[in-house]
Amino acid sequence: MNRRLALKNLALISGGLILVPSCDFSQEEILEAYDKLKITPSQNALIAQIADTIIPPGKIKGAQDISVQDFILIMVNDCYSEEQQASFITGLNGFEAYSKNNKGKKFQRLDQAERESLILNGLQDKAEENKDLSTFLSMTKRLTIQGFMSSEYMQTEVKPYSLIPGAYQGAVLISNLNPEQLHG
Amino acid sequence: MANLNIKAQAENTYQAIVIGSGMSGSWAAKELCENGVKTLVIERGKDVKHIKDYPTTNMLPYEFPHRGQLTQEIQKENPIASRCYAFREDAAHFFVKDQEHPYVQEKPFDWIRGYQVGGKSLLWARQVQRLSDFDFEGPARDGFAVDWPIRYRDIAPWYSHVEKFAGVSGNKDGLAHLPDGEFLPGFPLNIVEQYFQEELKKHYGNDRHMILARCAHITGNLEHFQKQGRAKCQSRNLCQRGCPFGGYFSANASTLPWAERTGNLTMRTDAVVHSIIYDEAKGKATGVRIIDTHTKEEESYFAEVIFVNASALNTNLILLNSTSNRFPNGLGNDNGLLGKYVAFHNYRAGISAEHEGHQEYTTAGGRPTSGYFPRFRNLHKQETDFLRGYAAGFSAGRGSYADQSGIGMELKENLLNPSQYGPWHVGSHMMGETIPKESNYVALDANEKDPWGIPQLKVHVDYDDNDEKMIKDYLEQMTEMFEKAGFTNIKTRDDKRAPGLDIHEMGGVRMGRDPRTSLLNANHQLHSVPNVYVTDGACMTSTATQNPSLTYMAFAARAAHHAMKDF
Repeated sequence: MNRRLALKNLALISGGLILVPSCDFSQEEILEAYDKLKITPSQNALIAQIADTIIPPGKIKGAQDISVQDFILIMVNDCYSEEQQASFITGLNGFEAYSKNNKGKKFQRLDQAERESLILNGLQDKAEENKDLSTFLSMTKRLTIQGFMSSEYMQTEVKPYSLIPGAYQGAVLISNLNPEQLHG
Repeated sequence: MANLNIKAQAENTYQAIVIGSGMSGSWAAKELCENGVKTLVIERGKDVKHIKDYPTTNMLPYEFPHRGQLTQEIQKENPIASRCYAFREDAAHFFVKDQEHPYVQEKPFDWIRGYQVGGKSLLWARQVQRLSDFDFEGPARDGFAVDWPIRYRDIAPWYSHVEKFAGVSGNKDGLAHLPDGEFLPGFPLNIVEQYFQEELKKHYGNDRHMILARCAHITGNLEHFQKQGRAKCQSRNLCQRGCPFGGYFSANASTLPWAERTGNLTMRTDAVVHSIIYDEAKGKATGVRIIDTHTKEEESYFAEVIFVNASALNTNLILLNSTSNRFPNGLGNDNGLLGKYVAFHNYRAGISAEHEGHQEYTTAGGRPTSGYFPRFRNLHKQETDFLRGYAAGFSAGRGSYADQSGIGMELKENLLNPSQYGPWHVGSHMMGETIPKESNYVALDANEKDPWGIPQLKVHVDYDDNDEKMIKDYLEQMTEMFEKAGFTNIKTRDDKRAPGLDIHEMGGVRMGRDPRTSLLNANHQLHSVPNVYVTDGACMTSTATQNPSLTYMAFAARAAHHAMKDF
């Protein structure tokens, strides 16, 4: 295994915590795991906050508690096209400015209600100049839901997943189903 | 030196050689070994031991870094394999990668391959429907291809033989055109599938049927299957990873370990067959020339009988590349038809709709099969402006989902308690018979070679007017049936996929009665080299509409017993 691959694999295991100097000698280093995205730790933290706004913590853990941001970045880095990646990064880079323009503050300084309203606005924003921003947010939302619901935490502690789903039943009365109600 | 050669030859000599360890080759091997025949199975790919070599079989969803999706990089490198529904993060390791095994597409052809012990038997959709005389008599009745040299009565006992060992779940439906077999208990059809069944009866009487598809899964007679080390299907629906229960039939779980236990099986993996050796003095084939895929060294193995089960198109390639003074155009190819009359199944069209009724019901658990329409078009007589007809899959399903429109706590509550039920979704896809034609062929490319110096296969296969008419008819007829059943929001599609993606490529070495117009006789022997048998998809005279693997398995078992008469 070559050094770069070894580093990348290690980085995937550790959630991208390995830092390498960024190519443009800017002040911040970039996370090794997402080689195509060139994500800095502060960008990673911002995505974590956005994911945590989409699925906040409560009785059941929230997105950031289980590092859904790492899953989001792995997926965008590995499984999305270059155009989608470019849109994601442009939207991400413009997000703080969008927050200041709409709410007068950086995202970090907003309370949960303000954060939610900002993200909902952004998701529905049809303005041409905010196209990448809304693409970034809808990708982030979709991947937050996927990453959260398919996480080890959810599938072992909250809604245990079974590899053996049981014998097929072709006519189950919905009224007879009493699923356990879970509250977040 | 001479002595050394004789010694090497003796060490490399078996009674039978089987080329290919998949669906049909493993059946030939099992029958031969079980009856005391020292058999060498040659496999071009690596070994895959049951359970031990299923690396993803018990992985949980969160253990896949991309939750099943393949990376952009892998998809870009493998445009062909990526079009297959099962080429995903959990099973990609069982698929041939495009660049490793190139071939020449004179017309677009998605050749999906599995080069490993067990071949595509690890990856198949496990649907096993018998052919009937409506199929074997088809070419003669409708005047295409050549007459099959066999009829249903010739193969029926071998269908039973294979079904009892492989394990087939299904219902006795009493349909002459889809004969019943040796069935283990069937999986249930759900309430909407049953409703559709009744609607068909109401509107079409006894002319059209939607039944439970027969599938190669164990659902009963468990002690019998224990002898193979296999257990009941657990409805995991993760079959493409390899099944730790041996719940479905694969060569790896069933026929190969069985053959191995006899002590008569030798496996030679990582060996791509270059050609079959023909001895002009003896007037028969005497062995097989292989190239070790790692060392690239050539070796030869010898036997009295050779079975070619390399998968339909690779069987063509091997025979085409087996040239000699006697057979300058490929082994057994006296009439120049080797590689021609290749056909496939037309999977282009599909239909989906919604069902507003049965709102109080849903389903639970898993099921490895679905509903199935046996062919009804042109069955008893010609009734349309196209030849033959189509089978079709059918299924209905329903699930709960969560409202994902919001964000924050509201979204989280919804995700945790998915309580909304949409309408039932119903859908079908066609499996059309295609007419074998001389103009649909495979041949050796004159210039391009594979990494082992073997000519690449050139594929020249396309749809024709008959296929276009059949697509139109399928969509019209299904729409009519869906409308009569009251289904709504009916959507039809023609995805224009290239041939090959059906993974039911057939022909090129067809069976027939006359050596002037066919390559194989009724016992699957090359007419002019009778100690060479072909029992995989290459032997198919016509395609019928049924998923073909069961027929290849039955052919292999039957031909193996024919070959044993000489020992």
